[in-house]
Order: sequence, then structure tokens, then C-alpha cells
Amino acid sequence: MFDKVLIANRGEIALRIHRACREMGIKTVAVHSTADANAMNVRLADETVCIGPPAARDSYLNVAAILSAAAITGADAIHPGLGFLAENADFAATVEEHGFIFIGPRPEHIRLMGNKVAAKEAARRLGIPTVPGSPGTVCDPAAANAAAHEIGYPVLIKASAGGGGRGMKVAKDATELCRLLPLAQNEAKSFFGCGDVYLERHLERPRHIEIQVLGDGRGEIIQLGERDCSLQRSHQKMLEEAPSPALNCDERERLGTLAITALRELAYKGAGTLEFLYQDGEFFFIEMNTRLQVEHPITEMISGIDIVREQIRIAAGAPLGYSQSDIRLCGHAIECRINAEDPRTFLPSPGRVTDYHAPGGLGVRVDSALYQGYQVPPYYDSLISKLIVHGKSRNECLMRLRRALEEYVISGIETTIPLHQHLAGAAEFIDGDYDVHWLERFVRDRG
Amino acid sequence: MRIGGRRPPFPDAELIRTLAGLLTETGLTEIEYAIGDRRIRIARVPGGAGPQTGPALAPSPPLLASVLVDDSAAVKAPMVGTAYLAPQPGDPAFVRLGDSVVEGQPLLIIEAMKVMNQIRAHRSGRITQILVADAQPVEYGAVLMMIE
Repeated sequence: MFDKVLIANRGEIALRIHRACREMGIKTVAVHSTADANAMNVRLADETVCIGPPAARDSYLNVAAILSAAAITGADAIHPGLGFLAENADFAATVEEHGFIFIGPRPEHIRLMGNKVAAKEAARRLGIPTVPGSPGTVCDPAAANAAAHEIGYPVLIKASAGGGGRGMKVAKDATELCRLLPLAQNEAKSFFGCGDVYLERHLERPRHIEIQVLGDGRGEIIQLGERDCSLQRSHQKMLEEAPSPALNCDERERLGTLAITALRELAYKGAGTLEFLYQDGEFFFIEMNTRLQVEHPITEMISGIDIVREQIRIAAGAPLGYSQSDIRLCGHAIECRINAEDPRTFLPSPGRVTDYHAPGGLGVRVDSALYQGYQVPPYYDSLISKLIVHGKSRNECLMRLRRALEEYVISGIETTIPLHQHLAGAAEFIDGDYDVHWLERFVRDRG
Repeated sequence: MRIGGRRPPFPDAELIRTLAGLLTETGLTEIEYAIGDRRIRIARVPGGAGPQTGPALAPSPPLLASVLVDDSAAVKAPMVGTAYLAPQPGDPAFVRLGDSVVEGQPLLIIEAMKVMNQIRAHRSGRITQILVADAQPVEYGAVLMMIE
């Protein structure tokens, strides 16, 4: 097992990884920008190294600085967290070349799944159903038109090097497609460094359902059930729940078998998530994330498995130690992503947290790096806390969620807690009757 | 130009004590005091929820003196790595305490990933402090030397 792990990330996820390390007796090295000098994970870490000024490209994306920090502290392994360099195959490869263990999948699988066109192709080859789409990238309006004709309108233009719901455009007919194609290509170039785009059928009312897997790298794959992440605003998830209220047992089992069969072929190593769109009883693969996900806690609550711990164990070469038949999924869990934003306008609200009280009690978990007096910096994404509740049933979960939200105090900055409270009382949410477009309408209609 | 006689040594213990007293007396969380290009900041460490700091937080005094001594004189590390005070092992050091240096003059090396990066003087003056030892790891922003 590792003696020392360097955590190449920040915020609540850095704290999450620190906690898993400390529970395994592993020393932690917190690298941070100057803006994060007082972050909770930095205060708690065994060793800290300031790696740059606030801007991510000079700090959390600064490969040389991170590797240098690993060298001077004598770290054995690097956990990339999520976002930043977590799905950068070159980074993973460089880490290994420098003699450190990268806590994550093999670089070749990161690379494979990082190219969304290649990932779909791989999924198809592995027998996973995919969203009908263009055979590959489309470069010009003529090719795009021909592909769209086959797929059927409306079509979605997506970046091959993209992900995280960014840079997608819907075209409802040939004229729009012609107009939006070059825009999409330019955006793809500036967001992801590559202007390649492909087309997919745009599903009218799908749910976003994803499945969590763990692979030991030697052909053993475990699946930990699905998560329903349909509640999204501008393609960013706001609330997630496990299991999905929309699936029945057969569908759940079908999805699980699909995931295991496919990834066994790859001999996938580490944690991963296969994302699907689900509509009218059909699953369509959209992408695979070769990293830890923000919403991993709800899977932990229903399975009892510490996913970060498993990532570390797998990276250290330990066998899984359990099989699929040992996995029991119990109860229901919901996670609210709480952002430092105005709950109506969504304008960012960095600043000092003057009063802080996190809810507690049975079945309540808060993954957050906030504390009283903490200054939320303006340089990074606005997620400041994840409120996770677990209950024996979905109803118990909903009651607990309402109670926990009303107890949670974060003063001094604006947060989206009021929005979550409103959401928790919405009839369709309570009924579990929503698709990926529902939240957008809900937010718009509340005025 | 310096006027008014000999400058007291910095950091000024008397000044820190006065500021710390003011902090406690007024209940403020932070005081920053600047005169010319010399700055000192005293801050109360933001604790957990009031007086209860959890056992996980390393024991630290409630008052933290964060001395930003003469910011303009500080030679700060622009990168993470290992500092070396001489061009090669066994060579004499680039500079010694008391040396006069000119802007652009190499002062030390920071090695990162086997690449040696020369760190040069950002201004001319005298080396009044050398705050890093040979082969010591340094982080971004670490104060290495003072040129006054």
C-alpha cells in the first residue's frame, strides 16, 4: 500500500481523497494554488506544497509543478481527483513515466474514452447500444446534412474531444445545421483544443442514467448500480439520485450485465462510469468517464463501498476482495450540489462564509470543504458543498432531504440551497417523473 | 533616498506586539500595516466553529503573525523544485550574504524535473538575507532571498 499520496486537486474532492487516504494510514500531500492556501484539505494535509498562482493553468493544470511537488515530497502516487487533469491521458502517462503511480485507469483507456467518437465506436464493438449518430466526425455542411438525413432531425452537434455537457448545439433542420456547424466547431476548438464534431439524434425526453463500475485491471468488473442524473441545468447536474426511480428490476439488471460484459473485455482498471440516455425503455450509450465523479457519494451510501478507497487499493495492485454477488444495494440516496451562486440568477457569489452549520443526523452526509470564516475564491467552479441523504426508501429520503436542507446554514454568500428546497417540494420531482429538460423548465417557470 | 537616520531592523518585534495587542483589543480578524514599501500583516487564523478546533487541526496559536517583510525586496520562487545555491556541486555559491548584485544576475538554481532553472535578481542591491539552504525543496512563492 502507498505510504504517501499527492492529491492533485482542490475543494471538496481534495478533502474527500484526503479522508480516504487518512483512513488507510496513508500520508497526504496537498498541492494548492496561492488562492487555496487556507483550504481545509490544505490545513489538514500532512504536507503541503504551493504550486502556483490562482489561475488553474498555472497551478492545478500545471503538470511540471505537480510532478515537481511529487518529487520533492517523495510521494508514491498521485490522485488526480476529477476535472483538471483527471481525464488527461498524457498526464497519466507522464506520471507513470516519472515513477509515480497514477490513481486511475490506464492511459490508453483514458485516451480511448476521451475521444467521444472513438468511445462510441468502442462501445458499439463491445455490444453496447449507442445513440444513433454520424459514423464519425462531420467536417462540412454537406457531410453533416447527409449524416443528419440518416439519423433524423432534430440532431445534436457534439465535440469529439468534449464532455461534461459542454459545447453542444441542437439543430432542428438542415438550415439550422448549416448555420450552427461552424459555430460548434469553433467552440469545440476553444473549449477542448480540437474542432472535431459529430452528430447524434437529439432525444426529446430522455433521462440521464449512468452506472458506476470498478475494475481490478485483470478482468474482474463490479458494478455498483445506476444513478439518475436527469436534473440538469445547462447540461450541468444539479441533483442526483440512486437508484433511478424510472427503472424496474429487469432494466437495472440488463444495464448492469451490459456494463460488466463490455468492460471485462477491456480489462478496465479503476473506477469508471458509463453514461446513457434512457427513453421509452431503451438505453443509449453516450460516453464513459474514466475517473471519479462528483456524484459518487450516492452510490457509496446505497452500496456501502468507499469508491475512493477502492481506487487507491486497485492502483496499489490489491485484488478487489469481493465479487458482484457480495454487492447489496440498500435503500435510496439523493445528492444536492450546492453552488456559491445566486439561487435565481445563478450569478457566482464568492466571498467569506460568516456562519456555517452543516446538517447532521442519521443518513445525512455533507461533503464540503467549507468552514466558518472560509473565503470562497472567485477563480474556480462554484460547487462548494454536496448534501447527501440516505433513507430506507425514497420517501424517507425525501423527508430527510427536506429536513436537512432547512437545517443547513451557509451565511455571507449566496447559495443554491433555496432552489433545492423549492425543487424538493415540486410534484414531479417527488413523483420521480422528470427528464433531462424538466429542470430547465422548472427554473424558468418559477420566475 | 533614506532619511531620518538608521532604519530599525525588520521584522520589528515591538511593532508586532503592538499590532497583536490592537487585534485582541478591537476584536478585528486582521490588521495590515504599511509604510513606504514595507508591509506587515497580522491575522487571526480562521478557526473551526468558535473555540472548538477539532483534534485534526495542528495545534497553532490563535494569533498568526504573517510577516510580509519588504515585499519588493523578496526574491520569490517562481516554481516548485529543489534550490541549489551553486552552479554545480562543489562550486562556490552564486552569491553570499552581503554581496552586491545587479538586476538580472543569477542568484540560485531551482531544479524541477531534472531541468535547472536559473533564478535571477529582479533588482540591483545587496543580499541581506538568504532564507533557503542548498538542496532545500521550495514551493511556488517561497521567499528565497532578500535584496535591499
